[in-house]
Amino acid sequence: MQKYSVFNLIKNAFTGHKNWEVAWKDPTPKSEYDVVIIGGGGHGLATAYYLAKEHNITNVAIIEKGWIGGGNVGRNTTIIRSNYMHDDNARFSEFGMNLWRNMSQELNFNVMFSPRGIINLAHSDAQMNVFSRRGNSMRLNGIDAVLLGREEVKKIIPMADFSENVRFPIFGGLMQPSAGTARHDGVAWGYARQADSMGVDIIQNCEVTGFDVVGGKIKGIRTSKGDIKANKVGLCVAGSTSILAEKLNMTLPVETHLLQACVSEPIKPILDSVVTFGAGHFYCSQSDKGEMVMGGDLDGYNSYAQRGNLPTLQHVLTEGIAMFPFLSKLKMLRTWGGIMDMSMDGSPIIDKTHIEGLYLNCGWCYGGFKATPASGWTFAHTIAQDKVHELNAGYSLNRFHTGHLLDEKGLGTKTWIS
Amino acid sequence: MSQDFRLDKIGLINRDKKISFKFNGKSYFGYEGDTLASALIANGVHLVGRSFKYHRPRGFFGAGVDEPYAIVQLYRNNETDPNVRATEQELFEGLEATSVNCWPSVNFDIGAINNFLNKFFPAGFYYKTFMWPKSFWYKVYEPFIRKAAGFGVASIKHDQERYEHKYEYCDLLITGSGPSGLASAYAAAINGARVILAEDKPRFGGSLLTSEVNIGNQSGKEWAEKIITELKGMPNVIVKNRAQVFGYYDHNMLVMSERINDHLPKSKKYSPKQRLWYIRAKEVVISSGSIERPLVFGNNDTPGVVLSSAAKEYLKVYGVLVGRNPLIFTNNDSAYETAIEFKKNGIWPIVLDTRSNPESEIIDEAKRMGIDIKFSYVVIAAKGYKKVKSAEIAKISEDKKDLGKIENLNCDCICVSGFWTPTIHLASQSGNKTKFNKEIDAFVPNQPKQEETTVGSANGVFNLEETLKKSFEVGHKLSKKITNKDNKVSVPQVVEKKTTQHDKFWCVPLPKGKKYKRFLDFQNDVAVTDIELALREGYRSIEHVKRYTTLGMATDQGKTSNLNGLQLVSNVENKIVPEVGHTTFRPPYTPVTIGAIVGREVGKHSKPTRKSPMHLWHEKNNAVFVDAGVWLRPRYYKRSNETLFEASKREATNVRKNVGVCDVTTLGKIDIKGPDAAELLNRVYTNAWLKLPVGKARYGAMLREDGIVMDDGTTTRILENHYHMTTTTAQAANVLSHLEYYLQVVWPELNVNVVSTTEQWAGAAIAGPKSRDVLQKLFPDINVSNEDLPFMGYIESNLFGVHARIFRISFSGELAYEVNVESDNGNFMWEKIMEIGKEFEIQPYGTEALSTLRIEMGHVAGSELDGRTIPYDNSLEGMVSKKKDFIGKRSLNREAFIAKDRQKVVGVVPLDKKTSIPEGSHLVKDANAKLPNPKLGHISASCWSVEYNNPFSLAILHDGKNMIGEKLFALSPLKNKSIAVEIVSSHYVDPKGERVRS
Amino acid sequence: MLHIKCPYCGMRSQNEFAYGGDASVKRPELNKETTDSEWDSFVYLRKSLRGKHLELWHHISGCRQWFKVQRDTATHEIFKTLKPSEDI
Repeated sequence: MQKYSVFNLIKNAFTGHKNWEVAWKDPTPKSEYDVVIIGGGGHGLATAYYLAKEHNITNVAIIEKGWIGGGNVGRNTTIIRSNYMHDDNARFSEFGMNLWRNMSQELNFNVMFSPRGIINLAHSDAQMNVFSRRGNSMRLNGIDAVLLGREEVKKIIPMADFSENVRFPIFGGLMQPSAGTARHDGVAWGYARQADSMGVDIIQNCEVTGFDVVGGKIKGIRTSKGDIKANKVGLCVAGSTSILAEKLNMTLPVETHLLQACVSEPIKPILDSVVTFGAGHFYCSQSDKGEMVMGGDLDGYNSYAQRGNLPTLQHVLTEGIAMFPFLSKLKMLRTWGGIMDMSMDGSPIIDKTHIEGLYLNCGWCYGGFKATPASGWTFAHTIAQDKVHELNAGYSLNRFHTGHLLDEKGLGTKTWIS
Repeated sequence: MSQDFRLDKIGLINRDKKISFKFNGKSYFGYEGDTLASALIANGVHLVGRSFKYHRPRGFFGAGVDEPYAIVQLYRNNETDPNVRATEQELFEGLEATSVNCWPSVNFDIGAINNFLNKFFPAGFYYKTFMWPKSFWYKVYEPFIRKAAGFGVASIKHDQERYEHKYEYCDLLITGSGPSGLASAYAAAINGARVILAEDKPRFGGSLLTSEVNIGNQSGKEWAEKIITELKGMPNVIVKNRAQVFGYYDHNMLVMSERINDHLPKSKKYSPKQRLWYIRAKEVVISSGSIERPLVFGNNDTPGVVLSSAAKEYLKVYGVLVGRNPLIFTNNDSAYETAIEFKKNGIWPIVLDTRSNPESEIIDEAKRMGIDIKFSYVVIAAKGYKKVKSAEIAKISEDKKDLGKIENLNCDCICVSGFWTPTIHLASQSGNKTKFNKEIDAFVPNQPKQEETTVGSANGVFNLEETLKKSFEVGHKLSKKITNKDNKVSVPQVVEKKTTQHDKFWCVPLPKGKKYKRFLDFQNDVAVTDIELALREGYRSIEHVKRYTTLGMATDQGKTSNLNGLQLVSNVENKIVPEVGHTTFRPPYTPVTIGAIVGREVGKHSKPTRKSPMHLWHEKNNAVFVDAGVWLRPRYYKRSNETLFEASKREATNVRKNVGVCDVTTLGKIDIKGPDAAELLNRVYTNAWLKLPVGKARYGAMLREDGIVMDDGTTTRILENHYHMTTTTAQAANVLSHLEYYLQVVWPELNVNVVSTTEQWAGAAIAGPKSRDVLQKLFPDINVSNEDLPFMGYIESNLFGVHARIFRISFSGELAYEVNVESDNGNFMWEKIMEIGKEFEIQPYGTEALSTLRIEMGHVAGSELDGRTIPYDNSLEGMVSKKKDFIGKRSLNREAFIAKDRQKVVGVVPLDKKTSIPEGSHLVKDANAKLPNPKLGHISASCWSVEYNNPFSLAILHDGKNMIGEKLFALSPLKNKSIAVEIVSSHYVDPKGERVRS
Repeated sequence: MLHIKCPYCGMRSQNEFAYGGDASVKRPELNKETTDSEWDSFVYLRKSLRGKHLELWHHISGCRQWFKVQRDTATHEIFKTLKPSEDI
C-alpha cells in the first residue's frame, strides 16, 4: 500500500497528483468468505480491520447497502470520550481511547484526533454531586476527570452565560481533559483503506435481502449482488438493526430513532473544548473548519427518516443560547439526521446470538462514534474466537433477562426520552 | 468618492436618498435601495474577501442568495454579525463592513501564500499528512489550521435584538413572487383561498424586474406591481417581502424567516429584528425560480467573473456596471439579454458563444444592435489577479475537444452563463425524489410526496407564456379544491423573445501545457482536479466526492457548484448524471439566524419558572432559592451573614427541638376518584391498598415495569372513592401520565379518573415536637391529639375561615403535619402559621434542612431513587406485597435483583466523626489499591447530623445488609479526599420511628 | 412538525402531544403466570418496524387522552388514529 506522508504528498504534487492509488478497491463479491460483516459503517469497517490485523482473518467481506461511511459515522458530532460511570462502559471506552490516541499513525491516515477536553456543565449543587459520583468513578477506574468550579469553568469558556440574566446559572462542571474530537469521515476511510490493503473486500451498493440459516447455524447471506456463503456473519448496522433482525425472526431490545445535529456558518476559533449543557440536552464544539457543531435531543418518536423536524432543533438551540448566548447571532448552516439504534438501557450489545455463527453489534444509541475502535476490536475478537472478550462481557443480550443492566441515565425503557 | 460604475438613469434605487457607509474603514456612499454589493461595485470596489483554503482574491459572483464570495463582517448599532452576504445585505445609513478571512488586509493577505503552494494542497491533503510527530496534530497543526479557517468573528456580547415566532395556517403558501408565484397567488386569491405569498428579496417580481417582456400590454415589471398591489389589498392574502421559506417539513409545515429590521440602521422600537413563521399550508406552490450556472474555465474565480444574470440585475435594478469592458461568455440565449442591456446603456460588450450557429429572435436582435458575437468561442482563462484584466480566448471545435489559437482579449469583467438550474430545494426537502431533465441538464421535481406543486423555472419551464398559463391554472385548481369556488381570471397576453436550445457544454478543456485552476466550488476552492483526484482515489459515490473535496459544503451550500460537480463526476465516471445522483437537500435553504429559530425563549425565559403562592413571603424573608426542576424552592433562610451550612443546621436543629415550617407546594398532587380507585392504587403501588380506611394516608412506592422504583409518596383516602396522591416534585408529570396510561390503555375496565391538582393546593409541612401545639392553635375547632389525629391520619377543617386539609405525615421523621389549602389562600395560611407559631419558636426551613432531616432518618429520596434502584435496594422490602400483583412485580425476581449480595442503602459515619463525606464519593476496601480500584458503592447523600452533631451519609452499598459495622474508605479523588468510615444502619436517628407516632 | 388527529380533539400540532412508544406491546394480565421470555419481551423487546408502525401518543397539552396512531416510520405519513380500545 502506498504510504501517506508529507514526502509523498510533495512528490506527487510534481506529477499533478496523478499517481495516487485508490484508497480501496471496488471488487465484485466472491461466492464465499470466512467472515461477512454486514454494514460498512465505522464499526463494520473497524471490525474487518481488526479481524485482519489481530486475528489474521482476511477472507472477509464488508457488505454495504449504500456507500461506506454513509451512516452514523458520517453523521455524528465527532465527540470522543470515556466519561462513563458504570465500570463496563468505563473500561470499554477507555480501552477505545487508547486506540484513538494511536489511530492516525496505525492507519496511516490522519483522523485528526484532537484531545481538546469535554466539559459537562452543572447547574446546581445536586448536579455537581451527580457528576462527582461519575467523575470519582472515572478516576477510580484510571480515567482522567476534573471537577471544575464556576470560576474555573469561566476561565476555559468565558463566552458561556455567566451573566445575571440566566435561568440556570453555571455552578461548575466535570471535565475529561483527554476527551476530544476526530474527523468522522477520516475514521471510516482510514479503516477501509487498511482493511482493503490486507485483503478485505469492501462491497458497496449491495443490499442484504436474506439469510441462510440451517439447523440453527448461519450458512450465508442473500444479497442484491447474489448469494454469499459464510459460516460467520457479523451484524453491524446501527439504526437498521431491527430491519435485518426481522429477516432473522429476531426481536431485539432496540428501537430506531432519529437524532438531528446542525452546524453554524464557520467563524474564527472561539471554542476549544467540547461543552455539554447540564440543564437540558445540548452539546457543542467547534470544527477545524470553524463551524459550531451542535446536537441534543432525539426527535422523540420511532423514525427511519434521515430527516427531522424543526421544533426539535428549536428546542436544542434554545438550550444552546442558554449556554452560549453568542450563538444567537450565528446562522444555522446545515442540519442533518442519523438513525440511532436506541437500546433499552442506553448501553450497547456486542454478543453472540442464539444462531451459531451470527454475531450482533448494536444498541449504540447516540454514542457509537467514540466507540468505533473498541467496538471493532471487541467484535472482531468475539467473531474470531466465537466468544466474548472480557471488555464486552457486560454488553450481553442476556442482561435484559438477568437484570445486570447498564443504565447510565436511569431512564429505563422509554428510549425516545433522551 | 465618485461612483464610477453607476449609470445615471436606469435602476430601481431611490436616487434622492444618498446613504453613506464604510467598507474596510473607508467611506463610500450609495443610494436607498442598494445592496452592500451593488453600492461597492458602483464605487469600483471589486475585491471583498479571500477564499477559504487558498486565500485567493474574491469579488462578487452573483446578486443574491447564491453568492459564494462576498461574505463580510457587518457592524450595526454597536453589534456585529459575522458572515453576512453583501449581495443580500441592504444598505442603510452608517453601515460598516469589513472583509473576512484575510490578514493583515484584503489587499495584502499573508494567507495567499497558500495559493502559490496550492499544488501541495489538493483535496483531502490533510488526511495524508500532519501525522508526525504524534502530538503535533493537536498541538501545532490543528491550531494553525483552525486559525486559518473560519470566516467572520463572533462577538461574545449578548445579542440585544429580539426575535419572534408566529404560527399561521393558510390554504396556499406560495414561495417566490416571480411570474409563476404572482400568477398562482393571484388566481388562488381571486378564487377565495387564504394565500400567503413570500418573497425573499426586498422587491417583488423576481425575473420580471430584469427581463424585457410584456404581459397584458404592460412591461413585466408594471404587471408585477399591479398584481402585488391588488394582492396586498385583499383580506384573504398575506404578502411578505424579505421573507424566505427555508424549510419544508413534515405534514406540510413550512418555516419562513422574515427579516424585519435587518435593512435598517437599528431595529424599530417594539419590533423584532427577525420573525420566524411556522406555516401549516394545505397546499404549497413552489415558485422559487432558478439560479444561473457558471461555466468552468481557467481562473474562473478571479474578481470580475460574474454570473451574466447578476450583471443584468446590477444594471437594471441598481444602475450599476460590473465592468465597462464586458466579455460575455455563454452556452445559451439568456446571456444575450445581458449583452443587449449593456449595449442599451452605451457599453460595447463582446459575446463568446460556445455554440456554432444558433438562431433565435434574441440573437438576431443582438446582431441587429451590432454587438460583436464570436460563435464557437470559449474563454480559456481569466487573466489578472485581483481583478479581470483580460481573457485568453480561443475557437473550439465542434466536438469541443480541440482549441484553436489562443488570443488575448482585453476586458474588465467576464459575465458567464452556463444555463439555468431550477431551485428544487423545497420540493426535495418535502420528500420529492426529483428527476433529471435531459433537455435542461438539471434536476426537476418528480412525484410530489406532500401537497406541493412546483411551477415556473423551478420546474424547469423557462418560457414565460407557458409559465403564466400553467401557474394561473395551478392557482385556480388548488384553490378550487379547498374553497369549492370557480372564479377564474383570464391569462394575459405575453410578448417575449423566442429562444433556442442551449449547448450541453460547460467545462472548457485546458490547452496543452497550461495548468490553470478551474473552479467548481468558489468558496471552498474546489477545482476540477480535486474532483478528478477524489475519483482516482476511489471516492466515487457523489457523497464521498462531496465529503472528500468539500464540494458544495460552503455557506452557499453549492447553489452554483453542485450541478457542475455532478456533471464532472458523470463525465469522468462515464455515467449519466441521474446515476450519479445528487446529495440530499436539507433545510435551511440559506443559513438562518439561530436567534430567530429560538425566538423569545432566551435568558431568564429559556425555561419557565414555577413559584409557589408563598414565593413573595420567602423572598421578603431572605430565602436563598434553589432550582428544583423548573420550580424555585427556598434552600434556606439567611440570617445576617450565615453560610448555607450554618443556616441549614440552625433550621434543622429547630425542627428537632421546636417546630419548623416548610413550603411543600411543589410536591406533585393527583386527585383520584372513582369506584375502582383503590384497585388502581393496589396495582400501581407495591404495597396493599384495598383496606386503607377513609381518613387515612399510606406511604407507597411505585415501580416501572422493569422493577425499578419510579416514585414514592403518600396517598390519602379522603372519601370512599376519592384519594389524594402525592408524588415527588421531579416525577409529578411522569406519574400522572403513567396512571393515565394504565387507566386508558391497559385497564380501561377500571372506573377511575385522575387529574393533576399540584397547582390547586398550597402545602406547608409543620414539623417538630411542638408542631401539635401549633396545629391545635391553627385549628381550634378540632381535636388534634394523638388519638384523634394519629400518625397517617387525615382530617379536614377550616383555618380562620379557609378550608384546609390536614395530613399527619412526616418526611423529617418528627411529629409532623402537612396542611393544604387552596393556592389562593397559600400565603394567608403561611402567615397564620408563622404568626401562631411564633410563641413556639417556629422557623421556616428550606430544602437543605429538609435534606438533613430526611437523611439522618434514613428516608430515601431522589438521590437514592435514581432510576437504577429496586425496592430492596432502598430498604423498602417490607412494602413489597407477596400476595398481590402490581406493576413491575414480575421483574423483581430477576437474577441480579435477588442476588444475595445485592446493593442496599446503608448509613455511613466517618471514623473521626468530623470529616464530611462529599456526595458522589465511592466506598472501597483499600484506599491505596492500584487502579482500577474496585468500588463497593457510592455516597448518595450527606448531611451534618443535627441529632448527633457529626457528619452522616447515606450510601448504596454492594451487599449492604451484611456490611453493617464494616470499616471502609470513602474516596473522592476529584476532591482529593480519602475518609475512613464505618457502615451503620441507614436509620441513624429514631430507628424505631417513635417520634412520628408520638 | 407532525400534524396529528387526536380522536377526541381533532387535528393538532405535534407539540401538544407526547410519544408513548409501540402500541402493539401487550401487557401480560395481572396475576397470571408468565414465562420469563414472555415477560422479557413485554418489557424490553420491540419490533421497531420500518414502515407502518402502530404506536401510542398522549395528548398531554390537550385532553390528556392516550390514543393509537398508525404512522410510517420512514415517511411519517399518518394513516389512521384510533382510540385505545379500537383496533386497526
